[in-house]
Amino acid sequence: MKNLFFIILIFSSIIFSQENNQLVNDNLFSLPNIKKFADYLFCQKDYLRAANEYERILNLVQNDTIEYKIALSYLEMGNFNEASTRFNSITESSSFYKSAQAQSLKLVFQIGDIVKFRSQYLYINSNRAYLDSAGLASLYMFSFLLTEESLPNEDEFVNAFQIAEKNKIRNFYEWKKDFPEKSPLKAAIFSAIIPGAGKIYADEYSDGIYAFIATLAAGYLTYDNFKAGHDFRGWIFSGLAVGFYAGNIYGSAAAVQIYNAHIRFDFVNELKAFLEDKNYFLQVFNFCN
Amino acid sequence: MCGYLKFILFFSILIPIKLFSQDIIQNQYSYALKLYNSEQYYDAITEFKRLLFFDREKEYVYDANEYIGMSYKIGGKFSEAILYFTIAEMNTDNNEELFNSKIEIVRANILRRTISHAVALLDTLQKDKKFTVNSGNICYWKGWAYIFDDRWDEAAHEFSKIDSCRTLMEFCKNVEQEKYSVSFADIISHFFPGAGQIYASHYFSGFLSLGWNVLWGYLTINSFVNNRIFDGLVIGDLLWLRFYNGNLENAVKYVKEKNLWITNRALDYLQFDYQGIKP
Amino acid sequence: MNNNHFIFKITLAFILSFSFKTIAQTDWIKWNKADYTYRINNLVEKRNYSFDFNNPGRFLLKSLANAYWFFISDVDGDNCSFNPTCSNFFILSVEKTNIVQGTLMFFDRFIRDMNIFGKVNHYPRVLNGHFYDPPSLYILDSDSINYIPPSVVVKNE
Repeated sequence: MKNLFFIILIFSSIIFSQENNQLVNDNLFSLPNIKKFADYLFCQKDYLRAANEYERILNLVQNDTIEYKIALSYLEMGNFNEASTRFNSITESSSFYKSAQAQSLKLVFQIGDIVKFRSQYLYINSNRAYLDSAGLASLYMFSFLLTEESLPNEDEFVNAFQIAEKNKIRNFYEWKKDFPEKSPLKAAIFSAIIPGAGKIYADEYSDGIYAFIATLAAGYLTYDNFKAGHDFRGWIFSGLAVGFYAGNIYGSAAAVQIYNAHIRFDFVNELKAFLEDKNYFLQVFNFCN
Repeated sequence: MCGYLKFILFFSILIPIKLFSQDIIQNQYSYALKLYNSEQYYDAITEFKRLLFFDREKEYVYDANEYIGMSYKIGGKFSEAILYFTIAEMNTDNNEELFNSKIEIVRANILRRTISHAVALLDTLQKDKKFTVNSGNICYWKGWAYIFDDRWDEAAHEFSKIDSCRTLMEFCKNVEQEKYSVSFADIISHFFPGAGQIYASHYFSGFLSLGWNVLWGYLTINSFVNNRIFDGLVIGDLLWLRFYNGNLENAVKYVKEKNLWITNRALDYLQFDYQGIKP
Repeated sequence: MNNNHFIFKITLAFILSFSFKTIAQTDWIKWNKADYTYRINNLVEKRNYSFDFNNPGRFLLKSLANAYWFFISDVDGDNCSFNPTCSNFFILSVEKTNIVQGTLMFFDRFIRDMNIFGKVNHYPRVLNGHFYDPPSLYILDSDSINYIPPSVVVKNE
């Protein structure tokens, strides 16, 4: 008996000396094992699979942490509607409730409905206890840069952000305040006076030069052909001259509109890059480290 | 005595549980394989990933990664397939598995149309003395790589090295012979505007091109003859040269279109009617 | 040799660990067996020779355009570096606006087409390498301007 005991002791110590905590019990589809696998998929950014695995857990037991992770998975995949539904289903008693509410509000901003975001923020803001208030306050102030509403006072605006962000925020504020848009009407007038001048005003230097050359060349050929008695050719070139001249005026106005769209695009892109970098000023739970 | 008995009893229950955990892994492998065989590739990948996650003994690393790669390949996601075939390649136990992984990478590269990678890999395999016995296989996939790169004569040359691939060799040779010569069309169009387009069976376009070239050529020369230099330069540059260049461009374009049609017809046959192993 | 092989394996493992994260995105939508083809795609655009029978003005305009394309444009080669081509741009401009505005847009486009220097860093491109320049940018409606930076390759025109 004693010998048998020692044999089994040695044998079991060999077997159990390996770290086998990964497989919790004899079923890969038990709750703990599903969770381990789901967490692994989540950290590998395989979000749809992770969400499906987390759903398996929720089918068996309600858990707000799992619900939050599902919401985060959908958020990362860009499925904002589903993410919003999941964030809103997290109960008040959960430690993730504040963050979920803040994320849900942030989603409204991310979708691009700035007006709705601002009105929802002001409405909910009275219940400060429930919100990631500092972050959302920054986001609310930041939203002024994306609307046509008049900007608040510069100091009031900048003070809503962290010290490290203030310089960049001040630059955005000044950019928005003195937005360097140009006037299509001015461009058209410039081109009417000097063909191509309006295009140069819109920073289209080479187009402006070509507009000038084309109009001038057509005009000269008109004059030259009429002078030489070639009336038919004269009328053709005069038609071209009028066309180039009128087209250059029209095109200058259009060029300025495209210029304005370009600078707006660059501005919005910079704002978006900044927001992504700051995670929209909201706290991030890192489940992977 | 009682204590020893209790210990023996306790561990005689626990030890089988430990031994059975590899059975669980094997069952998971069978389940994942079942999903793969029933063409549920996305779910098969999930279950193979689950298998890999829990397989502490690393018994199924090669097989699971191979099947994940195959699933991605069938799903048309060739870059992902190559990644997993590469992982499988890093976990092979013998030369046969190593060769199979490398060939799968070649096949995925062919389908992805990154032919230079496929050919480079095959060249490496050819130089490796471990795979001398697989030289027929290597030539076979090189032939397929050249087919996908529209190099039918080189494909025929590769298939000629394999006795059992005479049909494929003849097929590739026929495709190459059927194709039109781009350089020939280009050259004859230089001397006779429209000839290249007529060679490519675009008769109306060819004669129209000839007509325009004759018209503008006549007007240009007539202008120069009548000392209207400026007119001659304008007509010659803006009209005659334009239509002459258009004739050259169209000759090459139409021949390439014709050749593309021939190539696609051949590729359709290979994809849907050819019974041999395909990428 | 064994050491080099070991170092190669470690390096490859390191690179692959980053590849996983970028490749996971492909599985954010559940996919099925792909229906891929061995065929080589033909990137050459086919002309739209249709007629608009609903409107006499558009019918006349399209008839003239079709005639121009058939007898002249398809014969003189690929001379327009833009997409849509200048003639197509004119048709689309008139359809979007009216004959007068469309004509002005066309003359402006013609001047920009003559400019051989200013295109490369100014317009985005389409798959066949031509510059993407749709009429919607020039109808003097700032809301319809969908600005695309020059570095982008436009896939769905």
